[in-house]
Amino acid sequence: MLDNVIIGQYIPGRSVIHKMDPRAKLLSIFLYIIIVFLANNWLTYALLGIFAVVSVLSSQVSLRYIYKGLKPIFLIVIFTFILHILMTKQGEVIYGLGWLKIYEGGLKQGVFISLRLVYLVVITSLLTLTTTPIDITDGLEYLLAPFKKIKLPVHEFALMMSISLRFIPTLLQETEKIMKAQMARGAEFTAGPVKERVKAFVPLLVPLFISSFKRAEDLALAMEARGYRGGEGRTRLRILEWKLRDTAALLILLALAAVLFVFRTH
Amino acid sequence: MDIKINNLTHRYKPGTPFERLALKDVNLSVPSGCFLAVIGHTGSGKSTLIQHLNGLLKPSEGTIQVGDLTIAANEKKKQLKALRKRVGIVFQYPEHQLFDETVEKDVMFGPMNFGESEEAARKTAREMVKLVGLPDEVLQKSPFDLSGGQMRRVAIAGVLAMQPDVLILDEPTAGLDPKGRKEIMDLFRALHDQRNMTTILVTHSMEDAAYYADRIVVMDKGATYLEGTPSQIFEKRDELQAVGLDVPETVQFLLKWQELTKQSVKLSSFTIEETAKAIAADFRKGGPSC
Repeated sequence: MLDNVIIGQYIPGRSVIHKMDPRAKLLSIFLYIIIVFLANNWLTYALLGIFAVVSVLSSQVSLRYIYKGLKPIFLIVIFTFILHILMTKQGEVIYGLGWLKIYEGGLKQGVFISLRLVYLVVITSLLTLTTTPIDITDGLEYLLAPFKKIKLPVHEFALMMSISLRFIPTLLQETEKIMKAQMARGAEFTAGPVKERVKAFVPLLVPLFISSFKRAEDLALAMEARGYRGGEGRTRLRILEWKLRDTAALLILLALAAVLFVFRTH
Repeated sequence: MDIKINNLTHRYKPGTPFERLALKDVNLSVPSGCFLAVIGHTGSGKSTLIQHLNGLLKPSEGTIQVGDLTIAANEKKKQLKALRKRVGIVFQYPEHQLFDETVEKDVMFGPMNFGESEEAARKTAREMVKLVGLPDEVLQKSPFDLSGGQMRRVAIAGVLAMQPDVLILDEPTAGLDPKGRKEIMDLFRALHDQRNMTTILVTHSMEDAAYYADRIVVMDKGATYLEGTPSQIFEKRDELQAVGLDVPETVQFLLKWQELTKQSVKLSSFTIEETAKAIAADFRKGGPSC
């Protein structure tokens, strides 16, 4: 039912990507997201695509899993594609039907933007698929540490993030459980006119909100009971280790950035 | 309503790294009017099994027959709704499913989903709230203002209001105090007898299974492990212990008694009263030598 959602779901594995330092992964992905916007012709998009495919393959995460993660954004991709095709009026007309004219530039732009979206989602879901939430937060906290100097609550931010990531699967399970209970009482979530369907979600959302608030309260209480007081002076059980492969990954990305810079259309 | 499960197999998340075989080749038949207890260790497939009985899960292989309805893999939706009308499930911690402004409206939710008129549903709601032992005043209260035990009763009333022929109870007494447990279980047994329902109770409590059920199925690793009447099942202590279960307290007590007194005591029932009587009779016969 809700098996398609892969955000925040970690798939255990022993691949190179799994073993990378989360800081290196975060930096690489940050870099990748930036250089995706450098690409503006077929060659540069192909290069980015090859990089994404190679990363996915070397992570040994099943392709079907990546595809499942992409499914929810297909609608957005198609929508942007159509918008670009209709709105961009550049280059030659390659197809015309009355007032509807499709330009070469529009088609190109549509494909590029869709690819950009797909790349971004694939690469970012690869992060959560191969990194445990706790690693991601540790990495983030480390990378953001300089901001502590200007009194940004970096530790609290990281904690909030890890808690939200941690509870996504729990919340999904809870949703499924309540959905089942209401379906057993004859509720239908997937049939009927839109108005009815929206109304059908009330019996799902109310219990979900209530249990989430309760859970938040319990968690706060449990943390306080164990004397949790934030990041000051806390030592770590798990210490991040930067290895050669992490430097290598960053170098590969920098090289990719340089190549993109050279080959993009100026 | 007769229930027949034929070669039921279920896989969770097929085709992913998380694929798991939850049920394998389960065959089970529950005759109409039977009070069946399903016991087993955590993860033995009890919950998966009962979710098939009202179409919340569809079989990966095999079929489920409830009365004249047959559910196979890829069943149509319409069929499922008809099935859900017949089979009511009280889930674990059913109070988590309450959502409406008043108790009355919440209990009416089920019957109205199955096409009952508002008037009729309201009448059923009143009846059911009374049946589960709550005063009329709660009808207009918000379910979230009630105590945990009362919320549980309201949720149970919400399932009973659909007037199912088959009632499935998934650990209905988890988290209740001993008095509440007994009251709720007595209520289910009474309902079962009065309304001629078929009841399936999933439980961790050997005591509940022994006192209330006519038949017991023991599940282990997604398959049926033992099946029989409570007396038949609880004779097999070694087999039960092999799958992480045990016999009820009263049987444990009697076995210890036998061991100490070297006398055999015949057990006909599992209630504390019956056990006390059996031991008293044993005393009159001469009793222990110590």
